[in-house]
Amino acid sequence: MGEPQSQGIRRDREPLVEAKGLSRNYRLGASQVAALRGVTLTIAPGEFVALQGPSGSGKTTLLNLLGLLDRPDEGTILIEGREGESLSENARSDLRRDRFGFVFQTFNLIPVLSSEENVAYPMVIAGRAPEERRQRARELLTAVGLGEKLAVRPDLLSGGQRQRVAIARALANRPAIVFADEPTANLDSRTAEEILDLMRKINEESSVAFLFATHDPRVVARARRVVRLHDGLVESDGAAR
Amino acid sequence: MSSLSLAWRNLVRQRRRTILMGTVVAFGFAAFALAGGFIAQSFEGLREGTIQTVGQLQAVDRRSVDRAEERTLEFGLKESSRARSAVAKDPAVSAVLPRIEFVGLAVAGAKSVPYLGVGVDPDPEGKATGARDLVVSGKYLSGDGGDGVVLGTGLASALQVKPGDGLTLMATTPDGSLNAVDAVVAGLADVRIKELNDRYLACGIGLAARLLQSPETVTKLVVFLRRDADENRAAARIGSELKAAGYDVVIRHWKELAVFYGQVKLLYIGIFGFVGAVLVVIVILSAAIVMTMAVSERTREIGTLRALGTRPAGILRMFLVEGIALAAVGCVAGMVLALAIRAVLNASGIILPPPPGATHGMPINVRFYPLAYAAGLLAMIATMVVASYFPARRASRVSIVEALAHI
Repeated sequence: MGEPQSQGIRRDREPLVEAKGLSRNYRLGASQVAALRGVTLTIAPGEFVALQGPSGSGKTTLLNLLGLLDRPDEGTILIEGREGESLSENARSDLRRDRFGFVFQTFNLIPVLSSEENVAYPMVIAGRAPEERRQRARELLTAVGLGEKLAVRPDLLSGGQRQRVAIARALANRPAIVFADEPTANLDSRTAEEILDLMRKINEESSVAFLFATHDPRVVARARRVVRLHDGLVESDGAAR
Repeated sequence: MSSLSLAWRNLVRQRRRTILMGTVVAFGFAAFALAGGFIAQSFEGLREGTIQTVGQLQAVDRRSVDRAEERTLEFGLKESSRARSAVAKDPAVSAVLPRIEFVGLAVAGAKSVPYLGVGVDPDPEGKATGARDLVVSGKYLSGDGGDGVVLGTGLASALQVKPGDGLTLMATTPDGSLNAVDAVVAGLADVRIKELNDRYLACGIGLAARLLQSPETVTKLVVFLRRDADENRAAARIGSELKAAGYDVVIRHWKELAVFYGQVKLLYIGIFGFVGAVLVVIVILSAAIVMTMAVSERTREIGTLRALGTRPAGILRMFLVEGIALAAVGCVAGMVLALAIRAVLNASGIILPPPPGATHGMPINVRFYPLAYAAGLLAMIATMVVASYFPARRASRVSIVEALAHI
């Protein structure tokens, strides 16, 4: 797991992700609901950031926009200096594949693939050689404590184990940042603590940045920086207390 | 982990749906393979039957192509033995049958019935055309035919004659006078086509020549070729040979002459083409419904794959490969099904109704026709690709955020 983060075009002093004036509206029946109202935010390489706020404050919307899963109605997103909006759909896919990792609240593993194959999948679409994929997937699963579960399919794993596989998958292509949407929401307290410790350890050892959308106080307690959202606006942004 | 392996696992995962759709494809494939085999068998039977009647090639006087004869043998080939020898020399030729075609009136007692007569060289004619096999009572002509005639069963019935009975044949000679000869009924033939059965009369070429008072003149030479012969080259050689011998002839191919064959073939192609098109539409609609359900059920998974960096084309490909894999599985099952149904049908002895214009039905015989199996495979794969394309395209264009939130 412990690879240097100096891949791609990133330079150490350049922001990894830079959002300026992001707005996003959703249609709800006949009316428009503003999920984000001009959010500006910068994430530097190696940061461990929690996006906190009540339900409906815009955490997941912001995470989706920064992860190039969605497009803003207004504002710009720069990923390592490249403007996300100007990229084609294929280029955005490639950027997500090569520079981002994703961890979801519901794990979102591919049910027909084994743990090892799930972790290898991002490397398959990146065109890595089979032997390299196998070695890397085993390495990552061993690092998250699932070295014995390589051939097991997701339905035979516990929630915590599934989330560990998802974390290993997020790291497969050596990303610059991992976006995690409520990663502990479906886990019991003990497993949630273990998962958070694991992500923190990965962050410290590999300098991969983590951005969490959460209202779990345990996540917030472990973050170095907390961005508080309220009604689609940044309410506060600073070091965790 | 190839696209095929992923497709296969998804098919196994959605087992019930795969079995349902695989069964539709299997029946579609089997229908193609069986209908194809049956059509091929029918066409071949029809072709063989047609060639047996008209030969592969016919040499006729050039004038007869555009104009009907006003008098019998007006455009006949004179010195027919010389022309026949010239054609028989060709290495591709297996038989040359001289024929005199004429019309007249057959009289037996108080009955007189018009006939369509053909004068033949009995031995080679019987051998090459299978005319002997059509005789249902008495026997076919032998030697030079003598005074014997073979009558269609309908004509014999109208004349109220049977083998061994005498009758008089009347016809107009090429110079316009009326002539008559006595003949003896050698046998009765069932020529399979009702209208012809009521008028058919065959006799030796000598008797026809006597009746028409035209020795050594024939209407045409019917040519049969060896099995491996090239029809077009043989036609060119025979034409040159006859031209060199002083005959101004045209060599006509069996397809030009067999209008009936062409019509029946078109009819069959029309019927089976329509049924095939209906079949393809049914499979496309069923498959499209199944694939749409598969896409809908896996929306969240599609969102995940897209989030991980799979390009839209990758999602499209994934569902298309699934469609093709399903077609392949269905076709394998369909092949087993087709072979089993074929074995049962061929052993059943079911007699099919007579084809247009014929009087006899034929036992069902579905041939193993590899081309029909290959066509079935291609049709089912193409069908599944078409059926999968639109749901797959929808899947590839789905909003990632909406897909991830899909329940």
